[in-house]
Amino acid sequence: MTSGTEAVPAPGRGSFFGMRVREAGWGYAFVLVPMAVFGLFFIYPLVYGIYISFFEWGILGKAPGATAGLQNYDTLYHDQVFHRAMRNTFEYALLVVPLEMALGLVLALVINARLRGRAFFRSAFYVPSVVSSVAITTIAIYILNPDGLLNKIIGSDQAWFGDADTALYSVVGLNAWTTAGTVMLFYLAALQSIPTDVYEAAAVDGTSRWRTFWRITFPLLKPAHFFVLVVFGIGALKVFDQFYLVSQGTGGPEYSTLSAVFYIYQEAFKSANFGVGASAGVVLFVAIFLLTLFQRATVGRSEIG
Amino acid sequence: MRRALAASLGMLIFALLALVFVASGAQARPEATTITLSGWSAGKTEDDLLQSVVDDFNNTHPNIHVDYSVINGDYATAMTARFAARNAPDVFYVDSSIAPTWIKQGVVEPLNAYIKKSKYDTSKFYPGLLNAFKVGKNYYGFPKDWSPLAVEINKSMFAKAGIKKAPRTWAELTAAAQKLASSGAVPGGKPLCLPADWARMLAFVFQNKGSLAKVQSPAVAAAVNYYVGFFKRGLAATPTQLGVGWPGEALGKEKAAIIFEGNWLLPYMKSTFPQVGFGVGPMVKGKVNGNLGFTVSYSMAKDSKNKQAAWTLLSWLTGKVGMSKWMSLGLALPSRSDVKAVGGRAPFLAAGPSSRGWGFPNFSATLTIMNNDLQGVIDGNKTTAQMLADVNASLKG
Repeated sequence: MTSGTEAVPAPGRGSFFGMRVREAGWGYAFVLVPMAVFGLFFIYPLVYGIYISFFEWGILGKAPGATAGLQNYDTLYHDQVFHRAMRNTFEYALLVVPLEMALGLVLALVINARLRGRAFFRSAFYVPSVVSSVAITTIAIYILNPDGLLNKIIGSDQAWFGDADTALYSVVGLNAWTTAGTVMLFYLAALQSIPTDVYEAAAVDGTSRWRTFWRITFPLLKPAHFFVLVVFGIGALKVFDQFYLVSQGTGGPEYSTLSAVFYIYQEAFKSANFGVGASAGVVLFVAIFLLTLFQRATVGRSEIG
Repeated sequence: MRRALAASLGMLIFALLALVFVASGAQARPEATTITLSGWSAGKTEDDLLQSVVDDFNNTHPNIHVDYSVINGDYATAMTARFAARNAPDVFYVDSSIAPTWIKQGVVEPLNAYIKKSKYDTSKFYPGLLNAFKVGKNYYGFPKDWSPLAVEINKSMFAKAGIKKAPRTWAELTAAAQKLASSGAVPGGKPLCLPADWARMLAFVFQNKGSLAKVQSPAVAAAVNYYVGFFKRGLAATPTQLGVGWPGEALGKEKAAIIFEGNWLLPYMKSTFPQVGFGVGPMVKGKVNGNLGFTVSYSMAKDSKNKQAAWTLLSWLTGKVGMSKWMSLGLALPSRSDVKAVGGRAPFLAAGPSSRGWGFPNFSATLTIMNNDLQGVIDGNKTTAQMLADVNASLKG
């Protein structure tokens, strides 16, 4: 029996090991192509971008006689326009992400309730996320015009995108609406994965619906909160197209729609200061990276993986 | 035997002669040099016109074949990529606003050596336009066409306010705006539609003898205060305040009676607002005549492999023959004084001698500061002095 048990696994272990090596080999082979693409179009430009950020860099490459240094970062440190762009970007993200989450969660709860025609509502809420942001923004420009639809309804003549006091908030409102549908999908998936027995136990205890939501549903959605916060937070910090469109490429009125990515685009491709553009990109990258780590440490915990 | 030898020798000589003849024949008909020409598209009409101009060139220059192709999308970005890849077209458009940047980057070929060698006469170009593509003593392109600003007015609003003609001076402009306002000739709008844009205001700066070289001078401040003063007195609104995209749309939708736009307004009004009666007058005059020249050059790539052929094309396109053909549809104004414009362009052409090319160092970043600050001055959140200090710093940065 002992000899039998020993005899059987011996060749088995050998072939198991061989199989694992073969499997791993195949695995790496499959991964190789996407990794090569990832390395060539993501890692390499990322590292090269960091390298460029330490030099005076023009259209034809490194400026003649350029030496490595922090001069581009020094330029950013003293550039009021860059400061304003970063401030706008963070203010925008700070407003739009909670709004997207709240709206998305409410929509998900509405659809998750067993109401009639939920398939219709699910599609209806998701449609704005599918439509091109350029098309939606262009239509929004008409609706939010001084003589546009919104002002006709509320009886005002406010130039929503044309007033420095309202332009940023108007874009926040627009983007919260368009992205809420996608957030809703993530929350909906998470809601449906909550086991029903906890709700049954709460019902047996006679817990109110309000209390059930705050004590059971909301905490159990934590992985979804973290995911949405990170993914949409990063998306918000990269905002460009809506700001570019509503200001006709000026970042105005009065710098109110100047975003960090807009600044990078302008420095690199309009002014041919690729060094400054790259260093602004690095600053934004570091900001996003630190913020994600911070979110992971606070909202997300190890159980999320 | 002898005969056979003579015959074979004769044949050999004949064959050799034939070979020489064929070879020399091939030499007499060399392959045409192919060069590339690119610009952005300003609509199909213009693309087709340029293609027919290029066809003319190809027909009259058998040694050169020009391939014309439009660059779609963001022109500056696309060209930046082509420059970086050392793959720029041999001859291409350069907008006066981006010319200083590209010249500084060393991607545009200086033309002085070619001008000297072929004794090319540059004196026919309006100097203000030519200078937009000149750094130091070097020319980096010749203006292919241009447009200045002019005064455009709504005729029926002027009649309602009892004003006979388009304003010609600052004083007349102020008086006209006040009259239009007091007579209620512009219901639902303002007498003037002025954008928060130095691409309009700078003309007034030049009219007041101001310049960007001394942007913090009293002359510039006074011009800014004159421009912004129309807002303070409720006589002007920005396009955004009027709910339009640009002043031309304000004129078309009858939300403004006076605007300052270029030659590009004429086809726009004809196609979009044919029912609106408008008049065109020369740009207003302050202490002096002053205007902006929105111009585009034909320039040569530093990396061009066929520079002599590129020069032949460039100098022909901006020469009298090429430019006359290019002007035949009236899409733009000639940048040479010896080429005639199509009819009705007199108010624009009058600005030829007093126009300066639209462009300055560190253009993109400075324009962002200029226009955002100007909006701040209009809204009363910034002073003129603060704006001019910001602009001065950016022009030097």
